[in-house]
Amino acid sequence: MRSENAIEVSNLTKYYGKLLAVDQISFEVKGRELFGLLGPNGAGKTTTIRMICGMLRPTGGTVVVAGFDVSQKPEEVKRRIGLVPDISNLFGELSARVNLEFMGKLYGLDKKTRRERIDHVLELFHLKERQNDLVKYYSKGMHRRLTIAAALIHQPEILVMDEPTSGLDAQTARLVREIIIDLNKEGRTVLLTTHQIDEADRLCQRIGIIDRGRLIALNTPEELKNSTEGTRALEIKVLNGVDQQRWLAIIHEAEGVDNVFLAEGKIRVLSKDLPEAIPTVVNLINKHGGKIENISVTQPTLEDAFINLTGKSIREEPMSKEDYLKRRLSRSGMR
Amino acid sequence: MKTFKLFTMLTHSIYIAENDLRQSFKSVRHVVWSLLFPLFMMFTFSFRYGVSEPDISFLNFLIPGIVGMTAMFGSINETMSIVWDKSLGVFDRILAAPVSSTSIIIGKTMAGAVMGVISALVLLIVGSSLFGVSFVNISFVLLIVVLASFSFTGIGTIISGLASEPREAMMLSNLLRFPMMFLGGVFFPVEAMPMPLPYIARALPLTYATEALRAVMSKNMAVVLFDATVLVAYTVSTIIIGSKTLMRLMTR
Repeated sequence: MRSENAIEVSNLTKYYGKLLAVDQISFEVKGRELFGLLGPNGAGKTTTIRMICGMLRPTGGTVVVAGFDVSQKPEEVKRRIGLVPDISNLFGELSARVNLEFMGKLYGLDKKTRRERIDHVLELFHLKERQNDLVKYYSKGMHRRLTIAAALIHQPEILVMDEPTSGLDAQTARLVREIIIDLNKEGRTVLLTTHQIDEADRLCQRIGIIDRGRLIALNTPEELKNSTEGTRALEIKVLNGVDQQRWLAIIHEAEGVDNVFLAEGKIRVLSKDLPEAIPTVVNLINKHGGKIENISVTQPTLEDAFINLTGKSIREEPMSKEDYLKRRLSRSGMR
Repeated sequence: MKTFKLFTMLTHSIYIAENDLRQSFKSVRHVVWSLLFPLFMMFTFSFRYGVSEPDISFLNFLIPGIVGMTAMFGSINETMSIVWDKSLGVFDRILAAPVSSTSIIIGKTMAGAVMGVISALVLLIVGSSLFGVSFVNISFVLLIVVLASFSFTGIGTIISGLASEPREAMMLSNLLRFPMMFLGGVFFPVEAMPMPLPYIARALPLTYATEALRAVMSKNMAVVLFDATVLVAYTVSTIIIGSKTLMRLMTR
């Protein structure tokens, strides 16, 4: 291999007309690494991935996969990547086996190899009994398993997964995460995107945080958490009074408070100077007639780091019209 | 190396065409429905209204027209799969694979042409056995049907390249298919049309297909040759334009 890095992205930029979707992103994924791109909806994750896989032409910048420039040798790159898209895109009118057969043919596998590999992945993902059923009758979890299986048919060295667990129930999501970890342990490089902070934290060896088309941080989960340096978190549960959203607005005005947001039903306050902030916040809550049920100081989480970096929470952010447009553009098949 | 590349490209195209057709034939209903329409047209128009006896000269006129029309419906229908693939995301599957865009286009074109030929042949067999229309020279008939199917597929590719979603593609294709059906000399001879219409008819590939099929029956080989040439020209130009539209979308 000509380079140690599995994927090298430099100054990657994509405009959809006048809409800037990806803004000069640079990062590299090391061989055998489990790398995650974390960011909210519309951050440019899917667009980035599609450019890496050679399905979308960048407006600027370069992508080198396994030593091959995507714009010059797209087919060499595609041969080395297994792509798992965020929505199942198998042929619903065909059976699982026929779907996998087709993929195997496109990747130039001969008949014998195809049969062996298909048997292997069907076994691996517990789809053997249903292999001759039409895919459209599959459950969501089976769909996801089969999309992963289809991406492995040509035994790629790099696996690219777009939101691998989104839309799955907790149990299937856990199963998919286990599969991802296993595939990485087998020696495959994995690049995944996610908008779930805990997932990135649990799975990835390194995380790139992406927001509004820009890569704003890149480090190990631990280092990212440490990047909140000096910042500490206060968790408060307020019993009654105004609704939680309004508490956020009230607390935000308090002296010494850097950021405040909701996490699992509790109000989370980030501050560089907690001793200063605690009495002010408590006083404010009391003044507005709130009763504190629980208050505690905790270690900063990855979400705290994310909010510190982006200034906003990753959750419950409504999609703007622009985000919707970008989503449509990045997903509408050919471009 | 170059021949090897060409070979891989062609095998890829065949896989794509095969996969496309496999899906179409998987849903038998889909195939039956798409054949019902031309069959229905054939039966309704086979009665010469006001005349009690079946009119063999009119049937000799009608059946080749219906065969050409069926090729048109079959192939354009099949190319609509591109739009469905796009909207369902399955097109991404092919795009992510190490397959050149030319292979994709050739594969899709082949699928469309095969569908057109098969549908036309079904109608040809039904028409000739039920109404006793004899096609005289079957190899020439086949040639024309194949050429016609390819030229219609080219049109279908252009439509599916232009349309952003299936509904739009359906609308666009109907906008083309129905006027073509009535102006392409299927039911009424082009010569009998009032003035500006023959000019429009002469711009449509279906006109040449129906004319050529009838010419085969009347053994008018000069006309067959001329129409075949026009169809080839149509095929080449529509496929070039069609691939350009698709290519532009794929590699933007």
